[in-house]
Amino acid sequence: MSTHIKILKQVLQKYSSPMTLNYPSGVDKNRMYSQIPEGLRGFIERDEEKCVGCRACYMVCSGRATKIFDTAEKRTVQVFHFRCTYCAHCEECCPEEAIKMSKKFELTVTDKNDPKAYVNTDLKMISCKACNRPYLPEKMQKRVFERLSEKIDPKVKGIVVEDYHKTEGFCPDCKRARGVMLDTHTKKHVWLEVV
Amino acid sequence: MGLIDRARIYSPWVYHFHCGGCNGCDIETLAALAPRFDAERFGIQLVASPRHADILITTGCVPKQFIPMIKRVYKQTPDPKVVVAIGGCACGGSLFYDEDPENYAILGSPDLLIPVDVYVPGCAPKPEQIINGIVQGILKLNEKATRGKK
Repeated sequence: MSTHIKILKQVLQKYSSPMTLNYPSGVDKNRMYSQIPEGLRGFIERDEEKCVGCRACYMVCSGRATKIFDTAEKRTVQVFHFRCTYCAHCEECCPEEAIKMSKKFELTVTDKNDPKAYVNTDLKMISCKACNRPYLPEKMQKRVFERLSEKIDPKVKGIVVEDYHKTEGFCPDCKRARGVMLDTHTKKHVWLEVV
Repeated sequence: MGLIDRARIYSPWVYHFHCGGCNGCDIETLAALAPRFDAERFGIQLVASPRHADILITTGCVPKQFIPMIKRVYKQTPDPKVVVAIGGCACGGSLFYDEDPENYAILGSPDLLIPVDVYVPGCAPKPEQIINGIVQGILKLNEKATRGKK
């Protein structure tokens, strides 16, 4: 109902002032500068402190605007505004709530490689102890451990944390290869309950 | 600045060129030209032929069947000319663009074929943004006209 009143107000205003929006200048007080609705989805903004580089936004991106570049030192999470469709799937799925759709919509660039058209976040990578392959951002490993220790069943917490520290610093492949040697099976605590 | 240059900058003619895609950006472009947003304040007029135009507005991604047409329309536009790409598809290919494997029907953005001067990203861009892009295009046109004389 309130929206109806709003529309009616706007319609009545049309009779008193010119209809054209006062867009680039913004001097005339009787006219609206720009029409920005409540749920407008503009360019994405990423909080660099919150982002851990978990690739969730990359997995759901429908327009393939989000890309991830891995090097030995850093992981770069990049959004290319030209290919973004503003579907806000990345905002929805981000586990750290680092991505927000802003209300900014003005962007005109004359060059495709203009840094304004990209949103980049750099994250420090850690390499595997055994095979020297960069496999995970440092921040993500920390955060995963925090979340794991929050949610885990207190009965088996001791075993899981102990196993985690045993395999710390190995990439998933090396971890799997050393499973027997280090005695870290994922279902170990289940067997303990059965016995 | 000569009389012809002045006339060109204060009344650039626009040719709206739809390459392909979902028509969303076309609707927004026409809204930008209509009285609510009124891009015609800047002296713009929508023309029906690229032979009369100074600014070429392209919207949408380019299907492979459309490649000869877009090249031809670009050649038909007299110099100096400015190409303004509007929307995510015209800027970077958006949803329709595939790197690997390549899309069998759609090539991607028109800047793979013709030089694009101003990019206006958005899906679809707001009419305000399109006005912003067209004004940038006019500035670019001024630049090109003066450079061509020297």
